Amino acid sequence: MMQTLFLIMVSAYCLGALVALSGGRGSLGRGLVALGAVIGAGAGFALAANVILSGTPFTLSVPDLLPLAGGLALRLDPLGAFFLIIIGLGAIPSSIYGAGYSEVYEDGSASLRLLGLALNLFLLTMSLVTFADNVLTFLLMWEGMSLTSYFLVMTESREAGTVRAGIWYLAMTHIGLALLMGGFIVLMNGGSGAFSDLRTSAASLSAASRSLVFLLTFLGFGSKAGIVPLHIWLPMAHPAAPSHVSALMSGVMIKMGIYGILRVALDLLGGGPVWWGGIILGVGSVSALLGVLYALMEHDLKRLLAYHSVENIGIILIGIGAGMIFHTYGMMTLAALGFIGGLYHTINHASFKSLLFLGAGSVLHATHTRNMEELGGLIKNMPWTALFFLIGSAAISALPPLNGFASEWLVFQSLLGGFNLPVPEVALLMPVAVGMLALTSGLAAACFVKAFGITFLALPRSEAAEHAHESPLSMQVGMGILALACIGLGLAPFAVVRLIGGVITGLGGLPDTRAAFTFNLHLQTPGAFGQMSSPLVFLGLLILLGLTPLIMRLLRVNWQLRRGDTWGCGRVGQTARMEYTATSFAEPLRRIFAELYRPSRDVTIDFHPDSKYFVQSIEYRSEITPLFERWLYDPILRLIRFTARQVRKLQAGSLYLYLAYIIIILIILLLAARWF
Amino acid sequence: MNDPLFSQLSTLGSSIVLLFGIILLWRKSLHAYIDAFRWQSVVLSVMLLITGTFSNDHELYAVALFLFILKAVVIPHYLERMEKRFGDHRELQPYVNVASSLILSGMLVLLAYVITRPLVLISDLPTRSGIPLAMGLIFVGLFVLVTRKKAISQIVGFLVMENGIALLALLGTYGTPIIVELGVFLDVLLGFLVMQVFVYHIQTTFESIEVDQMNELKH
Amino acid sequence: MNAYLLEIGQALLALLLAPGLVGFVRWLKARLQNRRGAPVWLPYFELRKLFGKEVVMSNNASWLFRVAPYIVFTSALAVTFLIPLLAAPLPFDNVGDLLVVVYLLLLGTFFLALAGLDPGTAFGGMGSSREMTVAALSEPTIALAIFGLALGAGSTNLGRIVTATLANPGVAISPGHLMAFAALFIVSLAETGRLPVDNPSTHLELTMIHEAMILEYSGRYLALIEWASWLKLVIFFTLLANLFIPWGLAATLTPVALAVAVLTLILKLVLLGLIVAVVETRIAKLRLFRVPELLGMSFVLALLAVTSSFLLK
Repeated sequence: MMQTLFLIMVSAYCLGALVALSGGRGSLGRGLVALGAVIGAGAGFALAANVILSGTPFTLSVPDLLPLAGGLALRLDPLGAFFLIIIGLGAIPSSIYGAGYSEVYEDGSASLRLLGLALNLFLLTMSLVTFADNVLTFLLMWEGMSLTSYFLVMTESREAGTVRAGIWYLAMTHIGLALLMGGFIVLMNGGSGAFSDLRTSAASLSAASRSLVFLLTFLGFGSKAGIVPLHIWLPMAHPAAPSHVSALMSGVMIKMGIYGILRVALDLLGGGPVWWGGIILGVGSVSALLGVLYALMEHDLKRLLAYHSVENIGIILIGIGAGMIFHTYGMMTLAALGFIGGLYHTINHASFKSLLFLGAGSVLHATHTRNMEELGGLIKNMPWTALFFLIGSAAISALPPLNGFASEWLVFQSLLGGFNLPVPEVALLMPVAVGMLALTSGLAAACFVKAFGITFLALPRSEAAEHAHESPLSMQVGMGILALACIGLGLAPFAVVRLIGGVITGLGGLPDTRAAFTFNLHLQTPGAFGQMSSPLVFLGLLILLGLTPLIMRLLRVNWQLRRGDTWGCGRVGQTARMEYTATSFAEPLRRIFAELYRPSRDVTIDFHPDSKYFVQSIEYRSEITPLFERWLYDPILRLIRFTARQVRKLQAGSLYLYLAYIIIILIILLLAARWF
Repeated sequence: MNDPLFSQLSTLGSSIVLLFGIILLWRKSLHAYIDAFRWQSVVLSVMLLITGTFSNDHELYAVALFLFILKAVVIPHYLERMEKRFGDHRELQPYVNVASSLILSGMLVLLAYVITRPLVLISDLPTRSGIPLAMGLIFVGLFVLVTRKKAISQIVGFLVMENGIALLALLGTYGTPIIVELGVFLDVLLGFLVMQVFVYHIQTTFESIEVDQMNELKH
Repeated sequence: MNAYLLEIGQALLALLLAPGLVGFVRWLKARLQNRRGAPVWLPYFELRKLFGKEVVMSNNASWLFRVAPYIVFTSALAVTFLIPLLAAPLPFDNVGDLLVVVYLLLLGTFFLALAGLDPGTAFGGMGSSREMTVAALSEPTIALAIFGLALGAGSTNLGRIVTATLANPGVAISPGHLMAFAALFIVSLAETGRLPVDNPSTHLELTMIHEAMILEYSGRYLALIEWASWLKLVIFFTLLANLFIPWGLAATLTPVALAVAVLTLILKLVLLGLIVAVVETRIAKLRLFRVPELLGMSFVLALLAVTSSFLLK
C-alpha cells in the first residue's frame, strides 16, 4: 500500500516533468503538467497521512543506486510525514492554480517547458528531503530542491531585478549548504552517515562539537528558513518567482528549514544545553518583530508577503525555542506544548501564506502590477479573490476562529508556562518573548488592514486596477482549497494538536504527552493552564451574527438604505488621489519606529512663479534604510570585491609570470616538506 | 519581624519608589522631573517609617525625618529655583527617545533581577523581594544621568540613583547606623551644592544648560 | 441550565448597561467642568434615533462596509459571554480564556479599520491607520498583563483567575497585581478611545481616531458600531474591576447573590467611570506621537508586574 503510494508519487512527478519537457503548452499541456504535480502531491499526502495515522514509518533503501556513503536511504517517519503533508497542502492548490496562472507565459515571455519541468522536479526533491535517512540522501535532495527552485525563481528572467534576486538566492542557499555540510561532517565524525547511527554516535561527541554541529546546522537551515539576518534573499526571490511558485517557496519550502532544525537539534542530537533553545527563541523573537516591521514599510504586495514569511518563521521558532528550553530541563509536557505550537503554526502558515501569495498572484494577473499604490477597489471586480485574500489576511493576523489564532494561542500558552522554569534568568526570557510576540501579532493585523484595505477597498488608483477582471476558475479553485484549509485547521485544533502530539512523540526522548491535553470540543493545555474552543467560538459568533439582524428586524429597525456620495467637506466629486495611500497608512508606525527605519525624506515643491501660495507640483520621496543590507551585507560584499581586486593583480596575463608562480609554489612546497 | 504584611508593604513601597524613577523617563518637563523626585523621596521616607515600626528601631524615625526634610523639601526647592532661573523648562531631545528609554529601563530592571538573584536566594530578610527593585532604581538613575542632556535632569538622575542606594541600604540592613546615614546625607547635600555651582557656571559660560555645549571645550 | 440562562442574562445586562455607563461618564465630566451636562440616559435615545434613521452609504463602499458593523457588534457581544460580569466560574469559561477575549476584540477592530478604508475618504484612512497603530502598540501590554494575572492563578482561564484571587485575598494588594492593574487601565483608555489617547467627543479632523474611522456610517450601522464601542468600555471596566477586585461576584446562583452581584457591578462601573471622568477632566489629549510613550510606560508597568509576580512564586 505505502509502496504503491510512493511509486505513484515519484512516477507522477516524473511524468509531469516529462510532459513539460515535451512542450507543456496549451491548456492541455499545462493541465497535464499540473495534473502530474497534483497526483504526486496527493499521493505524498496520502502516504504521509498513512504514516502518521498508523505510526509505522515507511522504509525504502536502494543501497546500490549510489554506493558511495551508504547509498540512497529513504525512510519516512512521522516527523518527515508531517512535513510531507505540508508539501501536499501547499502543492495541490498551487499546482491547480498554476495551470491557469502560467497561461501568461504562452506568449513566449518565459519558457513553459522549463517552468513545468523545474516545478515537478522541485516538488519531487522537496518531498524526498522528508524521506532522507542518511546524510548523503539528505544533502543531495536538499541541493536538488535549492537548484530547481533557483530555476523557478529565474522563470521571468527578462524582468528587471530577477537576475539579481536569483544570484542572491543562489549565493545564500549555497552558503547555507556549506554550513550544513560542515555541520554534518562534524556530526558524522568519520563514521556512518545513516541517521540511525548518528542518533547513537551523537551522544559520544564532545559537548563542544555538539554545539558546533548545532550552530552550523541552525545557521544553514536558518538561511533557508529566512531567519534574521539571513533573510535578505526572501524579499528578493519570492516576489520574482511566478506567484504559484512564490506560494510554494514561501508557504512550503522555507518550512524545510524548520524540518532540518528539528531533525538535527532535537532528533539526531537529542537536545542540548539551554542556550540552544535560548538562541532559537531569541532569533525567533527578533525575526518575528523585524519581519513584520519591515513588512509594514513595504508597498510591493509580494515583497510585503515575503517579509511576513520572515515574521511567521520567527513565530514558529519562538514555539520551537520554548520547546527546546523546556526539553533541556526535562519538562516534557511543556516542551511538547512548545513544539506543538510551533509545528501547528508551520502548517497554518503553509496554508494562509500560500493563499495570500496566490491572491497576490491573481491581483498581479489582473492588473500587471504589484505596487499597492496603483491598486484599490478590486473587491468589486474580483469578489472571490477579495474574499479569499480577506480570509488569508484574517488568518495571518491571528483572528479567531481562524487557524492563525489557534497556533499563536498555543505558542502563547507554552511561553506562559515559562514560570515553571527552575532558573529565573531563563524564565525571564519568556515574558520578553510574550511581549515581542504580542507586538508582532498586533503589527501584523495593522499590516494586513493595510494590505487588504489599500489593495481591495475604496477607489481604484490606476487604470489597470479599474479594469481588473476576476481570475479564471482554476485559480479560484486553488485559492478556495486553501481558504477552506485555513478555516478547517482553525476549527479543529483538537484534532491537529493530537496529530502533532503523535508526530513529536519519541523525538529526542519526548514521551507521549497527548494524555496531558484534553481534546474534545475544548482544547485544554497540560495542567489546565488554558482552555479554548475555537469551534464553539465560531458557532457563537455565527449565532450572534444571525440573531443580530433578526432581532433588529423584529424590533422594526429602519431598514432603508440610500446610496450617496462620500462626504468630503463640501467639495464635489471624489477621486482616487484623495484616498489614504499605503505609505500614509504606515506613516505613524514609521515615525514611531524611526530609530529602526532611519527614514530619509526628500520633498521638492515647485511654486508658481508669481506667488508662493500656489503650488504647481510637490514631489515627495522617502526611503527607509535597509539596516542589514547596509551594515552587514555591504561590508561583506566590499570585502569580497576588494579581495577579488587584489587577486586580480596576480593575474597579469603574462606567461612568464605564471611560470614564475609555479616555481615559487614548488619551492615553497619543497621547503614545507623538508620541515614538517 | 517576619510579618507577611511587612514583606508585602516593603515590596509595594519599593515598587512605587522604582515607578517614580521610571516616570521620570516618561516626562519631559523639568518641573515634572523635580516633582517625581520629590514624591519618590516622600515614599522613601514613609518606607523608613514603616520599617522603623516593624523592626522597633526608633532611630529610623529620625533618619526618615532627615531624609524627608533634605530630599522632599530642601533639594527640590533649590532645584525649582534653578529651573525658574534658567527658564529652559523641557528636556526636548534626550539622547535616547522616550519610548526606547522606557523599554530599556524595563530591561535594566530585568537585569537587576538577574544580578541580585543569588543575594535574594540566600537572604531570609522579609524585605528581600524589594532588593532587585532598588538595584533597578540605581540602574534607572544611572540611565537618566547618561541619556539626558539638561544639567538639571542629570542632577535629578544622580539624586534618584542616590535614592536607590538608600533604598538598597534600607532593605538590606534596615538602615545603616544613624551616624553613617547622616554622613551620607551630608555627602549628598554637598554633592548637590557642588553641582549647583557648576550648573551656574555652565549657564554663565554657555548661556544654556545643555551639557552638549561642553563639547566646545575641546576647541 | 440556570448557568446558561445566566450567560444570556449577563450579555443582555452588559448591552443594557453600556449606554448608561457612557451617559454617566459624559454627565459626570460635564459636571466636573461646570457644565450642566446631558441626562445620563441620553445614549439610549441616541440609539433609538439612529436605529430609526435610514442608512446613507457611500457609492464607493463595498459589501465589506455593510458586514463590518455586524462583525464589530457581534465580536464585542460574544466577549460579554466570556467575561465574569456577574458570576464566576461560568459555563463558557472553557470556551475562551483571556487571550480569546483579547483577540476577539482585535477581530472587531480589524474589520472596523477595514470599513474605515472602504469609502475611500482621507478621514477614514487616517482613522484606520491610527486605530491600528494604537491597537498594535497596546497588544504587548495586554499580553504581559495577562501573563501577570495568569502567573498568580496558574491559568489564563477567567473563572480560575477570579477564584484564585478570592481564595487568596493578599494577592490583590501585591505589587504585581497593582502594577498589572495600572498597566491594563492605561491600555483600557487607549483601546476604548478615551482621553488622553483619543477624544470620544471630538470632531476635529486632526485629532480624531475612532470618530474618523466611522465618519461614513449612519443609521442602524452607526448604532451598532456605537453600541459596540460602548460595550467595549463595559468589557474593559469589568475586566479591570472583576479580575483584580473580584469581591461581589456571585459564587452561587441564588437570587440574593445575583442581586448583590448586579449591584456591586454597577457600583464598580460607577467608580471606574468616576476615575475616568476625573482623569479626562484633569489631562489634555496627548499628541499622537506621544501615545507610544504612554503605551511604553504601560508596557514597562506590565513587565515589572510580571517580574515581581515571578519573585513571589
